[in-house]
Amino acid sequence: MSATTLLVESSLVLSFFFIFLFLMYYKYLSVKTEVDVAALNENYYDYSSYLREKKKGGGAISPHSFIMNDSKSIGIRYLITSLIFFFIAGTFGVIMRVSLVEPQPTLFAHREVIYDILTTEHAILMIYMWAIGSALGLAYYLIPKFINMKSDRYGNASSWGYWIWLMGGLFILFSRTSTRWYYYPPLALQLNPYGAGAMNWLAVIGLEFIMIGVTIAAIVIVRNIIYERSDSMPLSKMPLFVWSVLFTLIMFLASAPFLMTAMVMLFYDFFNPVFFTGSSSSPLYFTELFWVWGHPIVYIAILPQFGLIYEIIPKFTGNKVYSYSSGVIALGLLLPLSELVWGHHLMESGLGIEWGLFFSTASFLVVIPSAITVFNYIGTLWTSEKIRLTIPMLFVINGIMDFVFGGITGVLTAILPFNEQTHGTYWVTGHFHFVFMGITVGIAFAAIYMIWPSLTGGRIYSRRLAGWHFAFTSVGSMIMSMGWVVGGFMGMPRFVSGYFARYMVYQDVAILGGVIIGIGQLFFLANLMISTAKAPQVEPSNVFEEVYRKAEISGGE
Amino acid sequence: MSEKNHNNKLKAEALWIVGFMVVLAFAAGLNFYITSQSDFSIATKMSGSNQIPKNSTPIIVDGYQWAWSFTYYNASGKQTSVDNLNITVNHTYTFIITSTAGSQSNAVIHDLYIPQFGIQVYAVPGQNNTITFTPVKTGTFVLECVEYCGYEHYLMRGYVTVVA
Repeated sequence: MSATTLLVESSLVLSFFFIFLFLMYYKYLSVKTEVDVAALNENYYDYSSYLREKKKGGGAISPHSFIMNDSKSIGIRYLITSLIFFFIAGTFGVIMRVSLVEPQPTLFAHREVIYDILTTEHAILMIYMWAIGSALGLAYYLIPKFINMKSDRYGNASSWGYWIWLMGGLFILFSRTSTRWYYYPPLALQLNPYGAGAMNWLAVIGLEFIMIGVTIAAIVIVRNIIYERSDSMPLSKMPLFVWSVLFTLIMFLASAPFLMTAMVMLFYDFFNPVFFTGSSSSPLYFTELFWVWGHPIVYIAILPQFGLIYEIIPKFTGNKVYSYSSGVIALGLLLPLSELVWGHHLMESGLGIEWGLFFSTASFLVVIPSAITVFNYIGTLWTSEKIRLTIPMLFVINGIMDFVFGGITGVLTAILPFNEQTHGTYWVTGHFHFVFMGITVGIAFAAIYMIWPSLTGGRIYSRRLAGWHFAFTSVGSMIMSMGWVVGGFMGMPRFVSGYFARYMVYQDVAILGGVIIGIGQLFFLANLMISTAKAPQVEPSNVFEEVYRKAEISGGE
Repeated sequence: MSEKNHNNKLKAEALWIVGFMVVLAFAAGLNFYITSQSDFSIATKMSGSNQIPKNSTPIIVDGYQWAWSFTYYNASGKQTSVDNLNITVNHTYTFIITSTAGSQSNAVIHDLYIPQFGIQVYAVPGQNNTITFTPVKTGTFVLECVEYCGYEHYLMRGYVTVVA
């Protein structure tokens, strides 16, 4: 075959391929126009929510959510993905916890680096895939009805955001990185045995992808809240959940560039170490850039859930939120303050006493908004005539209590001498597991139970299984975090696969709690499977979507 | 909502916030008070203005993967010990702490922590941090690295022995 023939034949094949593509596109466009018209006639603001609710039997947990680009489908996508990652990272957590049963490494003896990999993956996946993912999922799912969205545009951008975020998560999962979630160089550039660290560069790219994906989602949601909000809803009447999502995402957009810049420089350092490991630089430069992001992220992980608590309490008490305006102000105050306290993660790095006092005082200030928020919750509960202790409500009450525990253990570390005693120990681990188990995990599950009928297409969950899920999660997290807090105060170091025998009792208490939490999540899984196997029993309605602040309603049960 | 009810709510909220700020102000004041005491010391980067106290014995601490080495001078000359430190009670010491590569390829960040003394200080490559302390009890205490520094991080620990 001569070159000319080859050229002619390949161009023919290419032409046919393009003609085929064009036909496909033509077909897609005509079908889409048809559905658009049908959706318009039925008063749906976009074709895919029309398709999902009318043509697919309303079943939300289905592959269709991964193809269609309306806000709700994207929300379901985020929720499903974040739940899967929650179980992956949770399994990692339980395995590494069990491996600490004796002072000497047991499960991972002579392979201690596996423990380090599990800790790192547990942290990164829980924060970026579960905490941010579930918050974005609930935001995408609930906000369109909360603000009576005028039109649902930019679904394509959201979809891109989702896939980039998911790819980042998979990169991190498969990179087997052991750098901790804060990637301190030069350790991040170093190879460990068994190939751990060989693909740390992939974890860096993965985190960058996650940040790009979440940035896209954040821009779309902020834009929707500001421009697509119904004209009948001024900012002063916006639901508190929408406020909390707005503040969270602005906080994200304000602090993410620090991490993204640091990650790009770190990636460059793999090939040409100039930024953080060169002769004229210090690894501390990276730590400072990281924590400018690293402190806001912990608020980003709990603020949407704070908003959800404001939405859940009125549903089960029939009472209005104690003070709407102070709720908004408290959420908003966290914005500027959270950017000022990053130094309290580096108190012992040689900042000196003046900077130490600055950051410690700023850390006291950042407690005030949280105190106002907790007061609002307690005030709402206090002034209501009757509280229905449904499963979501139990999660909320447990979350408030855990947040108080976590808050007190947290603010204590702002005192400089106390920080010298507890920094780098399990005290800190206990502090943020109180908050994350109570607020991030608990309230996300509360919200999932609330929207259960609309998520599963009209199924209801078993109250008994959900009750066990709640009991195990709440009791387990209390035992685990208490073991850590007490052990940490005695000087038990974090991030170790073996430890001094004197700390064995605290570790074993924490293992008990961790295993209890792990078993508890299996009840949720069983509940999900059993209820989706049954036939639909109720209208796939969504209690959050009922008229905002309507008095007492059934709440998904 | 009635006017009276509204005022009561406002009062309760204001009372809570003021009360909370008083508690926080107390904690912050305590913080300033303790840190102004002469025996309080926190990790500080060594520079021209930050010198070692006159009455204290300097101990040069070097963190590397994965051990601590302590170097100091006494009557019998230069003493070096690894993962073990022998010091005298009621005597003031200053750690001058840094991180080196050791037998590995990189010098990474470590964090020396002695729980019973309530002191900890980062070992940062290319930077000398100082911290001053005075042991007041005799006995054997543990020392640990509490900043993750590689796969044998958990073995980077040892004992401080305080003798009379």
